Amino acid sequence: MILGLSAYVALLLFIGLSARKAIYYGRMPLHGRMELYPVPQEKERHTYGGSYMEEPEWWSKPRQISKASEIKDMLKEMLFIKKLFQNQRSLWWISYLFHLGIYIMIAWTILLVAGAITDLAGISVNSHASVWPALLYYLTIFTGLVGFIITTFGAASLLLRRIFDPILKKYTTPQEYFNLILLVAVLVSGIIVWSPDLTFGTARQITADAITLSIVPNTALLIHLLLWEVMMVYIPISKMGHYVGKYFTFHKILWENEPNVAGSNIENRLKAETRTRPTTKWSAPHMQ
Amino acid sequence: MNQKDLRPQELGKPCEQLIQLNDLMPLSFPYDQPGMEPDFPDVKPEWREKYCTSLDGCAGIDTLQRPKTEAEEIEFVQKFLNGLEKIFSDANNGVLQPLKLSFEYCAKCNTCSDACHIYKASGDNELYRPIFRADVLRKIYNKYFTSGGKLYKKFIGGDIDVNWETIARLGELAYRCNLCRRCAQTCPLGLDNSLFAKEIRKIFSQEMGIAPTPLHDKGTILQLKTGSSTGVGKAAFVDMVEFMEEDIEDRIGRKIKIPIDKKGADILLVHNTGEFVAWPENPAAFAILFEEAGVDWTLSSDMIGYDSVNYGIWYDDAQAKKVALQQMQAAKELGVRRIVIGECGHAHKAAGVVADRFLYGEDKVPVESWLPIMWDLVKNKRLRFDPNKNNFPITLHDPCNMVRQMGIVQPQRDILKNITHQFREMTPHGVDNYCCGGGSGFAIMNSFNFDKFRDKLSARVKFEQILRAFSDTIDDSSIPKYICAPCSNCKGTMRGILKYYDATEKFNVQYGGLVELMVNALVSVDKPYLEFLDE
Repeated sequence: MILGLSAYVALLLFIGLSARKAIYYGRMPLHGRMELYPVPQEKERHTYGGSYMEEPEWWSKPRQISKASEIKDMLKEMLFIKKLFQNQRSLWWISYLFHLGIYIMIAWTILLVAGAITDLAGISVNSHASVWPALLYYLTIFTGLVGFIITTFGAASLLLRRIFDPILKKYTTPQEYFNLILLVAVLVSGIIVWSPDLTFGTARQITADAITLSIVPNTALLIHLLLWEVMMVYIPISKMGHYVGKYFTFHKILWENEPNVAGSNIENRLKAETRTRPTTKWSAPHMQ
Repeated sequence: MNQKDLRPQELGKPCEQLIQLNDLMPLSFPYDQPGMEPDFPDVKPEWREKYCTSLDGCAGIDTLQRPKTEAEEIEFVQKFLNGLEKIFSDANNGVLQPLKLSFEYCAKCNTCSDACHIYKASGDNELYRPIFRADVLRKIYNKYFTSGGKLYKKFIGGDIDVNWETIARLGELAYRCNLCRRCAQTCPLGLDNSLFAKEIRKIFSQEMGIAPTPLHDKGTILQLKTGSSTGVGKAAFVDMVEFMEEDIEDRIGRKIKIPIDKKGADILLVHNTGEFVAWPENPAAFAILFEEAGVDWTLSSDMIGYDSVNYGIWYDDAQAKKVALQQMQAAKELGVRRIVIGECGHAHKAAGVVADRFLYGEDKVPVESWLPIMWDLVKNKRLRFDPNKNNFPITLHDPCNMVRQMGIVQPQRDILKNITHQFREMTPHGVDNYCCGGGSGFAIMNSFNFDKFRDKLSARVKFEQILRAFSDTIDDSSIPKYICAPCSNCKGTMRGILKYYDATEKFNVQYGGLVELMVNALVSVDKPYLEFLDE
């Protein structure tokens, strides 16, 4: 029961700590403008990197904004890691396999939960069942196999590259090795636990036990679950939580593109924030 | 030690000079021939003794002097640490979010290195890798401002010896980045390594009172005192404008009265005052074009109202703000409808982007670039051109501040297509351009041998781009080849490299702004406006 509960706690902490980080960055003071073009929300102009500032008297004209274009570029970055693809293809292959693997593993986990609930509802998930349980059965196998293979391959390759690439090695701290080792450990322990049953029926059963708080783990499962829980709590407090930071770097900094015009949100924030004086002072003579 | 093995932890290593500037990126024809490129000059012993030349044999910060006592060394290090703590405090609100994100999330994937023109020009020298500088700063911060024991600090990367040499070299290293932000454009996490260079400069200036003289004492301080970083005061400025009127008459036979301090004008045109001193044909060309098109415009002779420069944006936020507010005040007092920035890239960014959040409401006067207005005049046939008058190869340099950092990309190209048939792009160009190598103050920093660092290293990739753009005619000195650089600092850099490589003398490579080319192609002007076309 404790193990089942701790898994829930780890999941909640993952969500809570990620949200806390997002709130922390979201509440930071208004920063100076630091856009870099192309900015995708610039309708049509974004194709060559242009902006509203190409327009004479831009402040007196409605800005041509395309949210669709911004979302499209955001998805390209989220789903395909476009910048890495364009600028460092050799690293992209392994990084992309790893990140795609994570998405597939998330899908696998959701399918396991859905399968476990289906099982608990008395509908057996197997290859001979009706459409829904059969679909769950096959998709779970597919996502589980593909997910474990490419995520593990990606994570191990990232670790090996960091160990053997003389440039990356120079800049990698022990903590950054630890991050990758933790991920590999979770994945390898998962492979040890789940590989005896590649239909993932056992995994579905243990998920059902977790839902009903009745897991009875063996040593391998215990180690895997504990590692998974450590990872879930650790990710948001480490740089592996960059999924939070990336939203701010792109949407609130590089693509912000919000001039301070009368009546704008920026103007309102500026008015509010200039009421507070900084408590810290610089010491150079010309700053006195 | 092999220079490629240099690690961030070793920045403070005791040695006369951490790296040597050799094995630079090779240049194309004709500079691939022996003897075409001057060697890097030796460092003078007196420089080594007094200043910090121990990074790469160059010294950019002429106010950074070696300590005479151990107490001075300790004080120097402590002041830096105080400043390092402050950049993460409310004293630095304007950059806190981007800084913390870049500080926290860098995956050290090294994607940014290939985007950096200084790193590439150096032949991939480790010292100039964009993450090198950032990692040193991160290590110092983790060592001094993270709680935990020695072992934990080592675990998170706080493993660096900090002494005078470490900090002084880091200060110098902050002036080995042009702040062009090309690295940030490639980062898969959207982080900005140039921010660290800027923040180190800021610590040195705002906390330690150390900044290069051309930027501070003879830059913002002089500008705030006299009205211009050139030292040109109001009376001298008015005189220069009068001389310019005479020059226009001499050059094209046209009498023009340049409006100064015209109350309530539509446009206050603000130039980099360096233009009046070094390239008066540029503000003169603006006057010719605006007068011919019938624009309602004026110059200001008010304190700071005639100088658009703002060196503060390169090293000191407080100075940047003081300058920007005074420039805005000059516009308010004239009662103009809008401020238009002439051919100066960093002035575009300073007034149009950085200062955008300094003021609000009635205190603001709208700011825009000269490019959209000029394109509008061309498009609407208020100016008429004969493109055959510019019958020589022309390439365009994109100033980073206008293009990558403001998204003003197309108007200059549209104008060029109307004034010449011989326009060719550099590769890459537009928002992917390379910095001229003079960005963030390098163009005006000439202390010791720093100009050689600029000409030989930071401007090297740009020079290579120029050689490639003109590869079809480079060795035919009968054909002039024109680098159109619509920015004062970029032009300063072009002037430097063309002289350093003797490219004007040997290969007839010329440089200038865009408005000069426009006037040269005006149907209404009979004589060539560009001096190099004179017989």
